[in-house]
Amino acid sequence: MPAFNSEERQLLHDSVQGFFQSQYNFEHFRKLSDPAHADGFDRAAWTEYANLGWLGVALPENAGGTAAGMTELGIIMAAAGSALALEPFLATVVLGASAIEFAGTPAQQSLLSDIGTGSYTLAFCHTEPDAGFARGYVNTIARVTDSGFSLSGEKSFALHAQAADALIVSARIGDADGPLALFVVPASASGITRKTAATLDNRRGASVTLTDVNVDGISRLGSTDQDQTATVDRILDRAVMAVCAEAAGAMETVTQQTVDYLTTREQFGQPLAKFQVLQHRLVDMNISSESARAATHAALIALDESAADAQTKVWRAKVQMARSARYVGGQAIQLHGGMGMTDELAIGHYYKRLTLCETMFGDAQWYLKQLANADGSESS
Amino acid sequence: MFIRTAQADPSLDVFRAEVRAFLAEELPGETKRKQELGQFIDREEHGAWLRRLGARDWLTGKWPKEHGGLDWGPEQFSVFSEELGRADAPPIVPFGVNMVGPVLYTFGTEKQRKQYLPGIIKHDTWWCQGYSEPGAGSDLANLQTRAVQDGDNYVVNGQKIWTSYAHWADMMFCLVRTDTEVKKQEGISFLLIDMKTPGITVRPIIGITKGHHLNEVFFEDVRVPVANRVGEENQGWTYAKFLLGNERVGVADIGKFERYLLSLQQLLNDTKENGKPLAGEPEFQQKVADLEVSLETVKALAADQLSAARRDGSPTLMGAAALKLRSSEFQQDALQSIMDVLARHSLVYQTDALHPGWNGDLVGPDEMAGLIYEHLYRRAATIYGGSSEVQKNIIAKGALRL
Repeated sequence: MPAFNSEERQLLHDSVQGFFQSQYNFEHFRKLSDPAHADGFDRAAWTEYANLGWLGVALPENAGGTAAGMTELGIIMAAAGSALALEPFLATVVLGASAIEFAGTPAQQSLLSDIGTGSYTLAFCHTEPDAGFARGYVNTIARVTDSGFSLSGEKSFALHAQAADALIVSARIGDADGPLALFVVPASASGITRKTAATLDNRRGASVTLTDVNVDGISRLGSTDQDQTATVDRILDRAVMAVCAEAAGAMETVTQQTVDYLTTREQFGQPLAKFQVLQHRLVDMNISSESARAATHAALIALDESAADAQTKVWRAKVQMARSARYVGGQAIQLHGGMGMTDELAIGHYYKRLTLCETMFGDAQWYLKQLANADGSESS
Repeated sequence: MFIRTAQADPSLDVFRAEVRAFLAEELPGETKRKQELGQFIDREEHGAWLRRLGARDWLTGKWPKEHGGLDWGPEQFSVFSEELGRADAPPIVPFGVNMVGPVLYTFGTEKQRKQYLPGIIKHDTWWCQGYSEPGAGSDLANLQTRAVQDGDNYVVNGQKIWTSYAHWADMMFCLVRTDTEVKKQEGISFLLIDMKTPGITVRPIIGITKGHHLNEVFFEDVRVPVANRVGEENQGWTYAKFLLGNERVGVADIGKFERYLLSLQQLLNDTKENGKPLAGEPEFQQKVADLEVSLETVKALAADQLSAARRDGSPTLMGAAALKLRSSEFQQDALQSIMDVLARHSLVYQTDALHPGWNGDLVGPDEMAGLIYEHLYRRAATIYGGSSEVQKNIIAKGALRL
């Protein structure tokens, strides 16, 4: 994949940061995150992202994308994290698009261009209630029918599943021991019931129950019944990368906001930033934030270069990011004192976003366990 | 070192049984269910529960008999608090019973005691605390709300913030500035203010929990009788320090902390990963053991403070600060572990579920909304009651003499 050079990356970075800073301030986030808002995200902004080519940045060229890489996607996700953006990047551009790109036939890949133009959104309904963070635990069954398949099962809360044009649903073909397949299920298919809710950080989604949902044969991604467990692994690793980048942006912003607050807030006759204990705390936030950014960048590069140890680097980056997000988010509230506990200030919302970034697709403890159990196949 | 001064007291076991029996009989099932789910309890329901305790004089059991109390020692009060915490009863709001009550019976006039103490003992009066201001948080002495004498009244102008339950309160005890020419601490007075007085505006502050118990309170030419001043003019800081010292006799909420661990264990039993309960994961088993160690330490620190209170009449400065520090850290640690389990359910936060009577669709476990609320709320545990940083300063200056 032809990655952007440094100049192009700087331009992309400046462009996305500039957009969010001028069009997507905290008040805008508040309006969108209000339960009374119809969508819970900005549909007009989504179209704008498409027009600016950002939704297609990691999509293949034959789908109208730029075929750049994860690093470019990371630059966009970091800016989205800085702005607390609520649009369905993860669900559509990362999870859904990756599923189609990795598993779809050339004909099925045509869906990607609709994603790039902003006219088609997806949700990734893979995790199930008893799966926890485990990636391969799927009991949803795809019964073979005359016209295709009939899907039945329970899927846990998935981002954007309440509003997506289609759901990418994982299911085992035939019975519980069958190969894992991925299906593109139109949102309007009958037999789908949803429980809609929002996460702690105000992103909407739904848990989904499928009861004999009939789909035709070509809804199954790929041309055979091959098992897609390894594909799901790759999809989820991309999502892990995306939230690492998102968290990097959020941490950078919240650390700066905390520096600004302590510089202006006065108690005991002087700005709080004059107290050495608090200065060191700000330094610790900075170093922690930087560490997460650096680890994320290293993993992005490994993915873009298809390095043999890319997965290990991704998992390690997640662990580092999780540690940093927990520390930086928590200290951001602590250092703001009572003000940090209000809904009115942005700080608490960054804390909530970082809490989700830390835990989505697996937390530090989970990935440490995976890393410890890995059979050492990474190259040295 | 290791010199225990408290004797085991068999009568405390009898009392503990009495409190448990009372809770089993008198804590309404409906209230208990709401508490289990972390649902909001309104003024009527919370007040009704406090009045039941008040009917037994148990709200003010620690008070001296001469002022309407039951002369409980620190150990008896500790047993009482623990059992209420274990039963998940709605909390005893401290502003009357732990704060302004003792200030009144120590520094108030006979007339003030007669007027206000009965309402505190029986919970006929809701109190709130007018202390912090936007410019006076950790540096409370920096407060600016002004009270100027005009005949038999003070005229009060200014603003208080972080005022818990001001929207429910009948009365506020309020620190005001009555002298701007002297050192900050020497120009403060302690006023009792009727919340129905014209000129008072209460504005809700919504927390990161999306819940409401805190407020801003604005005073615009509010006339408060001079007779409502407690003690001498400009001596208010002394009474405030007395009150804060009294607050520190408040023990760590051991009963509640035990319930956190019970909730965690229940969640570990009920939440599956790869089809198997998380309770079987070594990492979680170790974490539970880790938290049990921390809780044991907090209990031991609390027991030491009880001994000190028995021996010297109050906890030690260092001991009280250390207990507050470690209790708040334990609380956050336990709730964080609960959040780690709930993360398997995507941390969906349905605040609607916190309102009794909502019958929408719950995503995830019944207890999730209430537990996420509690986790968010207790991010303030290291901020309220003197932040962790302030507690360390107290220890550094007061105990280590640095």
